[in-house]
Amino acid sequence: MLTVYIDFKSPAAYLALAPTLALSGRTGAALTWRPFRTTERALPNTTGTETASTESVAQSHRRVRAQSRRDTHIKYAAHQGIDLNFPDIPGETDLALGALATLSGDPLPFITAAFAAYWQGHANLDDPATVTALLAGQNADTSQTPQDLRRAQVAAQVDADAAGIVDAPAYLIKDQLFIGREHLPWVAELIEADD
Amino acid sequence: MHPLISDAPLIVYVDIKSPYAFVAIRPTLALESELGLQFDWRPLTLDIPSYLGSAKKKDGKVVESSGRSPKIWNAIKYSYRDARRYAERQGLTLKGTEKIWDSSLPNIAILWVTQTNRDRLPAYFEAVYPPFWRRELDIEDVSVIEDCLASAGVDPTGFAQFASGEGRALHDALQPRFHPSGIYGVPTYVIGDDILFGREHLPYLRWHLSGRVGAPPDIAYELAPC
Repeated sequence: MLTVYIDFKSPAAYLALAPTLALSGRTGAALTWRPFRTTERALPNTTGTETASTESVAQSHRRVRAQSRRDTHIKYAAHQGIDLNFPDIPGETDLALGALATLSGDPLPFITAAFAAYWQGHANLDDPATVTALLAGQNADTSQTPQDLRRAQVAAQVDADAAGIVDAPAYLIKDQLFIGREHLPWVAELIEADD
Repeated sequence: MHPLISDAPLIVYVDIKSPYAFVAIRPTLALESELGLQFDWRPLTLDIPSYLGSAKKKDGKVVESSGRSPKIWNAIKYSYRDARRYAERQGLTLKGTEKIWDSSLPNIAILWVTQTNRDRLPAYFEAVYPPFWRRELDIEDVSVIEDCLASAGVDPTGFAQFASGEGRALHDALQPRFHPSGIYGVPTYVIGDDILFGREHLPYLRWHLSGRVGAPPDIAYELAPC
């Protein structure tokens, strides 16, 4: 059993989807998908009053790191045939994460639809109508109220924090936590050691 | 020295005090050897307090900390745990450092080895990295670095002068040029127009340096045998 923590607004989680499913398909490992609310930020702005020449070392570091990470995501997304289209301002996804926490049955159709809605259409996954439509489109239960979903998201976040999750995608297997799909070789090794 | 330009097929930036660079050294050296190439290894001395806050530890306990939120601490702790388990797979010991070291001396020594005895660079890395991460080296002491050079088969004569003169100037001139060049951490690999942070890019680098045959691989931490 491999538990995978995701957030739909996380580009790293989006790009981990296909490799994680491939790993599951190759090894037969069952996947449990859990929500984890990440913090995504817009690229720091250096075109206004704060320019590259006046910013502090810390500000410069954050700006360069953010741009570098984005460039890297776009590069590897292209390898997967994905045109990664970052929104200017990262959207919120709490309601969709609450829905993921409460879904019964196979959550994969909803997960796939939610990632696509965010990254291809910049959908607001914190909007009740949008999330209800996504759920309905996958024939999933739409009876829960937005308040139910928010409570579920908050509870799931508390659980994830207690499990030591600090970012997504995170993989939890045999009490080992791995953050990032770059760990999939080790995750695969742990799965195969069980076979 | 331009941060992004080299005659070598790949530039590799490292810092002795980075745990992520520590666990990247052997796999990167292995790739260099596997491909029969010579990479351009360079120092990037991280200014950690400027972006992660600072901290001092004694006997494993944090005794002084500034500018670090609980969230930053959790991420740092995970990073160390993560680097440690990969180090252990390489047969290495990684103990969290007791303070944020000034690693410029051993980093300048990378330039010294490159200029005086390039073939001994892997031996120098072995002489300085593993003992530092076992907390056995005072890397701010020039005589300690001279000993590391000597044990790696590199003549340290003149290193102290280099470290306070030409080498220091070269090192110091390079540091402020990193951010404008799009470089922010270690290990960083520069290949063509790509600036890639982290050893997870080694599969891609192998693919790139081997003629780009087939589909480019995804990021991955390649596993050393247990």
